[in-house]
Amino acid sequence: MSQERFYILFPSHTEGMKLETILKKNSIKYTIVPTPRQLSVSCGISMMYNEQDGDSILKLINENNVNVLGMKSLIFENKNYYL
Amino acid sequence: MGDYRKLWSDLGMDLEKHDKLCAVLPELYSSVYLTQENRPEGMNYFNFVVAEVHGLRIQELDEHKKDGGKVVGTFCVFVPDEVILAAKAISVGLCAGSQFWVEDGEKVLPRNLCPLIKAFMGAKVGGTCPYFNSCDMVIGETTCDGKKKAWEILEEYVPVHVMDLPQMKKSKDYKMWEDEIKIVIEKIEELTGNKVTVESLKEGIRIANAKRRALKRLYNFRKLKPSPISGLDALLISQIAFYDNPLRFTEMLKALCDELDERAKNLVPDNSKRLMITGTPMAVPNWKLHSIIEGLDAQIVVEETCTGTRYFENEVSEEGDTIEDLIKNLADRYLKINCACFTPNHGRIEDIIKYAKEYSVDGVIDANLSFCHTYAIEHRDVETGLKEKNIPVLQIETDYSSEDSGQIKTRVEALLEMI
Repeated sequence: MSQERFYILFPSHTEGMKLETILKKNSIKYTIVPTPRQLSVSCGISMMYNEQDGDSILKLINENNVNVLGMKSLIFENKNYYL
Repeated sequence: MGDYRKLWSDLGMDLEKHDKLCAVLPELYSSVYLTQENRPEGMNYFNFVVAEVHGLRIQELDEHKKDGGKVVGTFCVFVPDEVILAAKAISVGLCAGSQFWVEDGEKVLPRNLCPLIKAFMGAKVGGTCPYFNSCDMVIGETTCDGKKKAWEILEEYVPVHVMDLPQMKKSKDYKMWEDEIKIVIEKIEELTGNKVTVESLKEGIRIANAKRRALKRLYNFRKLKPSPISGLDALLISQIAFYDNPLRFTEMLKALCDELDERAKNLVPDNSKRLMITGTPMAVPNWKLHSIIEGLDAQIVVEETCTGTRYFENEVSEEGDTIEDLIKNLADRYLKINCACFTPNHGRIEDIIKYAKEYSVDGVIDANLSFCHTYAIEHRDVETGLKEKNIPVLQIETDYSSEDSGQIKTRVEALLEMI
């Protein structure tokens, strides 16, 4: 089973933390995740969000001058890593 | 997505090889953890720690070292964190839970050895663990023959101090463990240049006890039906407890538990089977058994392991006016841990039966890492004790590879059917 997942990439974890505070305040759901290799070779955090919140999040990013590297999506294959 | 390559390079790591590890982790984590539904929001902190596992925390260690602080690596729940904290050093539980490191470990160790030992050695020999490369000293212990001999080889790469853990629990053994704690205090004082005082040791005890209390609170939620947190998430939290900043970890875990308090008010009953894992530790990022088992109609509700109850059960008393009083308190607490390295080790069977009741388990999986003789031999007593209580038990001996995953899944399915 595959699904499309949506990510926000950051230049550093501090920008990610800044957006986390804003999303919390606005009751927008998010998940902090390790950055998928397909999106960047740098280690560290990204943020996964629900597709329907994309526009609201982009607006908050711009209003609050959060420095992001982009918003991208990936097709994720849902299978057990060990099996 | 910080760029930590300069930091890793300064630590003398093999960047090319380490990059292969960095490439695997996001996919592994995504497959194992981010496919779970309805996780508590408080897990975001622990996602963050994993995402920054070789980044931010390593940077924190680096800053601590630049300020003159020391970093001490450990591999076992018998090493008293309180002493390390008291000397203002940072304690980190070291990398040992991935097949990635095994190949390099086998360059200096025999192949027919426990994967945990091969992995920690490989992480150092291959230069792919920034925690290991941040360590000023490693404190080993004599919990098994494999580790005892591995320290001799590790000593060629990093200073190692070995604590001689008694193998029995007679009164002379308590005395011996007190002496070992005194010796490790001297070693750490020498390393850090900081004196361990009554006050600093009491502060170390308070910090370690607070962490234990928070973990105990987390585990208490798992007694609920159904548990408001998955076994996978609880395991991850336990693993992170070994290397995260203890004060921050405790605060974030308390916040997660507050959220679980709310969740506990609206639990929806389900029919998933409740299982206990008992046996050998699961060092990060070993999530294999939990992932296979919780992919079935089952929930792991307690781990009687060193990355479970053995890590947080029993607090150290703060009572006493002298260092000797506090050392005795430490020895008393640590020797309550029921590890299979002791003979006899009836206390572990009693613990398993007690937890089976407390956590209302339907069955037990006695899991041990390949070539771990003490736990493998002790399975007979575990099985006998559980059978007397009519609790089904399945023994699984495995390593970090996924070759036997299909077989494990089939065996667990059979256990679940039997329950």
